[in-house]
Amino acid sequence: MIHIEDLTVRYLGRRQPALAHVNLSVRQGETVLLLGPSGCGKSTLALCLSGLIPNSLEVDFSGRVLVEGIDTRQADRAALAQRVGVVFQDPDAQFVMLDVESELAFGLENLCVPPAEIDLRIQSALSMAGMPDRRHDKVWQLSGGQKQRVALAALLAMRQRIIVFDEPTANLDPAGVCEVFAAIADLKRSGQHTLVLIEHRLDELMDVVDRVVVMAEQGRIVADGDPHEVFDQHFEVLQQLGVWVPQVSALGHRLRVRPTPVTLAEARERLPGRAASVKTADLFSPASNNAPPSTHQPAICVRHLSFHYGARLALDEVDLTVPRHDFVAIVGANGAGKTTLAGCIAGLLTPPAGSVFVDGRDVTTLSPQALARHVGFVFQNPEHQFVADTVADELRFSLRRVNLSPTQVEQRVEEMLARFRLTQYAAANPFTLSHGEKRRLSVATTLMMGQEILILDEPTFGQDQHTAGELMALLRTLHREGRTVLIITHDMTLVAECACTVVVMSAGRVLFHGPTRLAFAQPDLLAEARLDLPPLARLAHQLGFTALTADDFNLAAPVPQLPLLAGASDQFSAQASR
Amino acid sequence: MVNSALRIPISLSLSSLNPLTKIVAVLPAMLFVALTTDVSAPLALSTLALAVLLVFGQVGVARLAKALVPIAAIALGFLIFYPLIVRRELVAHTPVCFVLGALPIHEGALWLGLTAGLRIFAFVSLTMIFNLTTEAHDFARALVQQAHVPYRAGYAAMTALRFAPLLRYELTVIRAAQRVRGFGEQKGLHGRLEVLWRTAIPLLASAIRRAERAALAMDGRAFGAYPTRTDLRRMRFARRDVAFVIAFWLATSVLIFALWQLGWLGPLAFVQRV
Repeated sequence: MIHIEDLTVRYLGRRQPALAHVNLSVRQGETVLLLGPSGCGKSTLALCLSGLIPNSLEVDFSGRVLVEGIDTRQADRAALAQRVGVVFQDPDAQFVMLDVESELAFGLENLCVPPAEIDLRIQSALSMAGMPDRRHDKVWQLSGGQKQRVALAALLAMRQRIIVFDEPTANLDPAGVCEVFAAIADLKRSGQHTLVLIEHRLDELMDVVDRVVVMAEQGRIVADGDPHEVFDQHFEVLQQLGVWVPQVSALGHRLRVRPTPVTLAEARERLPGRAASVKTADLFSPASNNAPPSTHQPAICVRHLSFHYGARLALDEVDLTVPRHDFVAIVGANGAGKTTLAGCIAGLLTPPAGSVFVDGRDVTTLSPQALARHVGFVFQNPEHQFVADTVADELRFSLRRVNLSPTQVEQRVEEMLARFRLTQYAAANPFTLSHGEKRRLSVATTLMMGQEILILDEPTFGQDQHTAGELMALLRTLHREGRTVLIITHDMTLVAECACTVVVMSAGRVLFHGPTRLAFAQPDLLAEARLDLPPLARLAHQLGFTALTADDFNLAAPVPQLPLLAGASDQFSAQASR
Repeated sequence: MVNSALRIPISLSLSSLNPLTKIVAVLPAMLFVALTTDVSAPLALSTLALAVLLVFGQVGVARLAKALVPIAAIALGFLIFYPLIVRRELVAHTPVCFVLGALPIHEGALWLGLTAGLRIFAFVSLTMIFNLTTEAHDFARALVQQAHVPYRAGYAAMTALRFAPLLRYELTVIRAAQRVRGFGEQKGLHGRLEVLWRTAIPLLASAIRRAERAALAMDGRAFGAYPTRTDLRRMRFARRDVAFVIAFWLATSVLIFALWQLGWLGPLAFVQRV
């Protein structure tokens, strides 16, 4: 079906090739998961499979890619487009038209399919993608998950038999992620397609994967085989590379469960004898690695805050008190009001007077500069916050209003560069850094003023396991140093690992505010907010106890499950709904 | 060649007409307005345009009014400021209406301001028949299908139109992101340019990235594979399109003829010059 022979690709203007001498074959009907650290050439490979490299992007190209026996270099665009399709990461960037019907018709019109047949194909493709009623909707009215389904349907309408998914869930909220995975599972079940997946949320996906291919730098293949074999025998290599692995596999390794479980179902079978449940008392204590919040004057206090965008109500009577030194995660589906709430606290939006207090002061009475000395805000896309030509200048810029002598400024800049491991890039342009480095720089620039309160929007977005882990460690350190940290995120694993307190939002209201463990002990609450437990918490729940992280499974020697727990969780929900 | 089941449901609304129809229909009236020097023809033709919009436009009075407010303000502006800046010799032969400080305001100057303002108002009212009832994508389709604009250009325009709101949103995010760092309050020309430049870099970076991705997504779906393509939604010149053009031309000529008969038309621009 797909044969790649000695493929080497070098982007123009780059010294190193993105892919060097790659050989790979994929059989018909196989579902292959491509894993690798960021920058290893996964996306380049996806573009090669679809023939977009070398036909649409100019690159140095050698070797061969055969798709259903056709050499992609010689094939015309129509022949390729009827064989391979790619679902890209950004749902908004891959649409051409404004409504679903035209979007699906677009590819077929290009292939000169007669209108009557286009009509039929659109209907069947929408049904296959699980969106039969959306034909006349406008694209902008759809949720992220629905958009990705439309993108998939647009490929299905062209009857492509090889479909490549390049990080299709990266931009989606948890509900959208579920939707896309369900569509992939349906596709797999229909048995008519060869699927190549690039994805980092693995626990939900492993049920459909037949084969895992792990790539290192320049596409060098370091492991290739059945998922059980790869995650069992090559686990250490994967860890060194900083590649995402299923969280249940990591847990299995830690608890020395062999063979290594790959799916949730396998973990459920193999773990009970080995994993210990947490003690009931621990459910009430904050996450073990976090300092307890103090009870002094709250860092942030929100009272009866309602906020409108035009006629749309974004926040509905929100009350929230964040104690000093807390680590809070605000979670909720898209449109729940998380970003609006954070924006009101950080002064990006202007809340009504008397509704938001930072360090006891009404934010509407503070000048932007005064507020910026209390609250730092790190945006999702680090590039948006860059304002200087070099990394060091970015840091200096943050200090320009602080009364410091030039030597003190330089000293502080040096310290920050060292602390965030950016010293070697001091003279580099911020835009040339890697994604992980950009993120570290944006946190560093925000922290230059020494703010006590730090708000981060999707801090782990687009990071590989290595950089995401680094970032979590950094956030924990900042918190331990006594800062109040507030994150807005869809990444429930990040919440489980780091946050002491969770604020669950839905439709502009706060559904729950309390200890992370308490939130994760209530799957119903999360379901109401269209959220999901992270994989390990779900596993624990299925095994009959509550746990957040791998640490919780490790807490004690094997003990029988706690019969008490059903009653206990009732007690929590009663308390939570006070 | 078009399957009749696929046609857009017929209704009498302007939005269901071919976009090119609307341009063809209003073009003569617009040209005529440009030539008039009196008030009657602009008044009559803008009334005609607004009536057509209200009856067949499905626009709604509120939206129409909202669209007209800025242009009405400009027309009023002409009436007020034209007399102040008009060349004196053009209006010196007309009686003085009133004196503003040391400046005598002639009746002729007021008249010129009024006619200029009305002409602009009528001009814009006529374009609204197109503006308010046409989706940009339909216009691009019609340009490709009927005006034989190369489809690559037409679709490039459509994609660009789709990006506009996304980039506008991103611009507000970038501004907010930089403002949080205390950037953006720089004063003076140099400071303003600096702000503009620093906002432009991330916006440009993201626009280029988006454009590249969109181009790949289009290529991946066989865009440009053949010299022609089929169209699920055929824009056509249907009978109602022909009927609309004829009716609008007829109404325009009847109005002009009637004004001429009544002697209200006044001299036209080119007649004056002769």
